Amino acid sequence: MVTLVVKRFGFMIFTMIVVSLILFLLLETDLTGDPAARVLGQFSNEEQRELWREQHGYNQPVVLRYVKWLGNFATGNLGESIRFKGPVADVLLPRLWNTAILGFWTFAIMIPLSLTLGVLSGMKEGSKLDRAISVFGILTTSVPEFASAVFFSALFVFGLKWLPGTSSMSGGFEFKQLILPAMVLIVYDFGYVARMTRASMAEVMTSQYIRTAVLKGLPYKSVILKHALRNALIAPFTVIMLQINWLLSGVIVVEFFFAYKGFGALILEASLNNDIALLEACAMVAVCVAVTTQTIADIGYTFLNPRIRFS
Amino acid sequence: MTDEKQATRRIHPGVEKMKEALADGKCSRREFLRTATLLGVSATAAYGIASNILGEDVLPDFVSSAMAADQKKGGVLKFGMVVQEMADPGTYSWTQKSIVARHIIEYLVETGPDNITRPNLAESWEASDDLKTWTFHLRKGVKWSNGDDFNADDVVFNFTRWLDPKTGSSNLGLFDAMLEETGEKDKKGNPVKRMIKNAVQKVDPHTVKITLKSAVLSIPENLYNYPTGIVHRNFEKEGGDFSKNPVGTGPYELAEFKVGELAVLKKRNAPYWGGEVFLDEIRFVDLGEDAGAYLAAIASGQVDGLYELDLTTLEAAKNIPGIKVISIPSTQTGLIRMKVTEKPFTDIRVRKAVQKCCDVKRMLDIAHRGLGIVAEHHHVAKIHPEYFALPPIKQDIEGAKKLLAEAGYPKGIELSCNVGNTDGVWEQDSVAVLKEDAAKAGINIKMNVMPSAQYWDVWTKAPLSLTSWTHRPLAVMVLGLAYRTGVPWNESSYANPEFDAALNEAESTLDVEKRRAKMEKVEKILQDDAVLVQPFFRSVFTAIRENVVGFEMHPTRYYRFHKVSLA
Repeated sequence: MVTLVVKRFGFMIFTMIVVSLILFLLLETDLTGDPAARVLGQFSNEEQRELWREQHGYNQPVVLRYVKWLGNFATGNLGESIRFKGPVADVLLPRLWNTAILGFWTFAIMIPLSLTLGVLSGMKEGSKLDRAISVFGILTTSVPEFASAVFFSALFVFGLKWLPGTSSMSGGFEFKQLILPAMVLIVYDFGYVARMTRASMAEVMTSQYIRTAVLKGLPYKSVILKHALRNALIAPFTVIMLQINWLLSGVIVVEFFFAYKGFGALILEASLNNDIALLEACAMVAVCVAVTTQTIADIGYTFLNPRIRFS
Repeated sequence: MTDEKQATRRIHPGVEKMKEALADGKCSRREFLRTATLLGVSATAAYGIASNILGEDVLPDFVSSAMAADQKKGGVLKFGMVVQEMADPGTYSWTQKSIVARHIIEYLVETGPDNITRPNLAESWEASDDLKTWTFHLRKGVKWSNGDDFNADDVVFNFTRWLDPKTGSSNLGLFDAMLEETGEKDKKGNPVKRMIKNAVQKVDPHTVKITLKSAVLSIPENLYNYPTGIVHRNFEKEGGDFSKNPVGTGPYELAEFKVGELAVLKKRNAPYWGGEVFLDEIRFVDLGEDAGAYLAAIASGQVDGLYELDLTTLEAAKNIPGIKVISIPSTQTGLIRMKVTEKPFTDIRVRKAVQKCCDVKRMLDIAHRGLGIVAEHHHVAKIHPEYFALPPIKQDIEGAKKLLAEAGYPKGIELSCNVGNTDGVWEQDSVAVLKEDAAKAGINIKMNVMPSAQYWDVWTKAPLSLTSWTHRPLAVMVLGLAYRTGVPWNESSYANPEFDAALNEAESTLDVEKRRAKMEKVEKILQDDAVLVQPFFRSVFTAIRENVVGFEMHPTRYYRFHKVSLA
């Protein structure tokens, strides 16, 4: 178990270093244009650019710059954002927090909902309830977020006038503004998790030990809750961990549409504005979240499933 | 407006000439008002003179002052608009930045929605008969928010700063008549310029004299161009960052500022020289770049007004109850300009061939739904006062083919056109229509659509690209910014001494008839040199909620909410 954890963490760090190298080559070198011109803007002259390069150490050898850059990153010095004219961390953290709030509510509703429906559906494969849940899940999952966002806006904002049209929270946090973005994310993602749970549950229900439990006369409720559920939830656990990953990129569309000031919108803004330092930080955060959730999923999976742990 | 109080010290002889022209029907009342106010006559007096001459009431096109009595004080106006960094008012390249700043700092003059320029921080001004010396009398008793008195030092500081090439201000092009060549050349081979010594002088603490090397009529109008907001004389000493140290003379102060999110202005406690403002607070709410988000926000009452209404959301907005859609013609436009220093556009025949492919009417109808007026490839609009009507231009595909063959491309040519949709997708649609027509002549245009912010990194560099230009009340203003040799915004690198001379002459001619006659040459040179394909000048729209009182659409979107209140 310990070796596994150490190995996983080692792999995690290795992945991040590789990604950082790619990022550095793409954004900090002349491969994609002069960084000085990007930072100083179109009216800057060569003199100002040279001065900037000198001040910011852009005239040093590339290898040395990379090591320094990596060191800065590791110590939390993320640089200055061009668009926001301030330290990257000051912009990034509140935005991450906003996305975390959106993610929290999305998951808080989506996970219990999809697990319950998945389990109900998988308990009796082929029943009317199963068919209904499956069809509904496929339907919502196959509608892309930008389409459901338009649909919900047309219905709840322009039609019924129940909900505010955008979620910029400019006057402070307001739960009402969170409903539409969360709804779009939940509707899109719930079908996927529900169907994974259903498949897993259905498989468990056909296994020998469940048949034994039923035949030895245990109450049905207890068979489901005590015997089937624990095994059936192993697969959905990994899927859910991966959804955190998905959320970080999935929110870009939703945050853009509803003007929610989160991490997804920030990635878009950073790339549209050539904001190198900010883009680097966003990319590193996204990669960090991806490998961390992956590692947790791997370790958690072994923990839940002794067959992997001991083989 | 406090221009009623303005003391007209001396009537410029040009005003007498204008009076005669108005009486003889040689100039329009608009032209009279514009020129008379530029020459230092107060707006009220100019409207009065016009009424006397014409024997009928000539009233302002807008009614803000008349409304004041019924307007309610207090309230918070929420306005949907992107919030960008706004560190240096002298180098703004987006109108939106100036709209936030416009409530904190002020301009020497103000050009209203009726295109008339009125006194603001300058109480009055006079021009010498040759239009080479301009004297501005500054308003007394105006206080900066840090307690200092506003005076001539502030104005001298601002001019000096704008006209220092190191600042990188686009105002360099506007005040070219205050510059001289240093003898050095920049990398592109254009002469480096600097401000002529004593071009701006403090006469006394409240009088500033501007001396020009050639006559310019539009000095006051230039002073309301959006990067000419007057900052405090210690702006640079105190860090040079306006959003961190927002010292101003205006009625509002910056209470909160988050780029990409929000800018909050609060009414200052100190009395404001310009009289009562109604709103307690103005909140600029950034809703990103999606036109749909702005529409959803105004539909659900999250904002009371929008910076702009996209062409794609115009019809939808008209159908939402509680919302007013406002539209006015303007000289905002999209220029498909060809960089004359880049191959293949170094050859005028190629440029002419591209120009000949353009069907202006078709482009207007398809790309902007016919909402606007057609243009003639010389950046002067029919609604510009100095517009001279040249013979109409027509699409000529055969002619284009012939020119192309002469230029050495008998089998056609491949071009790539950048478009950033900085003001909407009509930009992309315009290029698409040109692409279709040009293909008939063997010109194969590849469209390179890029995000708007990235576009501004390459706009002066790309060989072929569509750039959106904002409205300017006088044609000479925009021509000086965009086509004069070596100015920062000359994106086509056009350099023609003959054009520069003709423009200088037009700029220095007061008489409308004569100036219009001189514009013939200016327009003709620019059109014949085929620097740009300019299909149309577009109308501008926006939407506000019905509870907003006193909102005036401005052709340049230089919104100012001093006279706006909530019902």
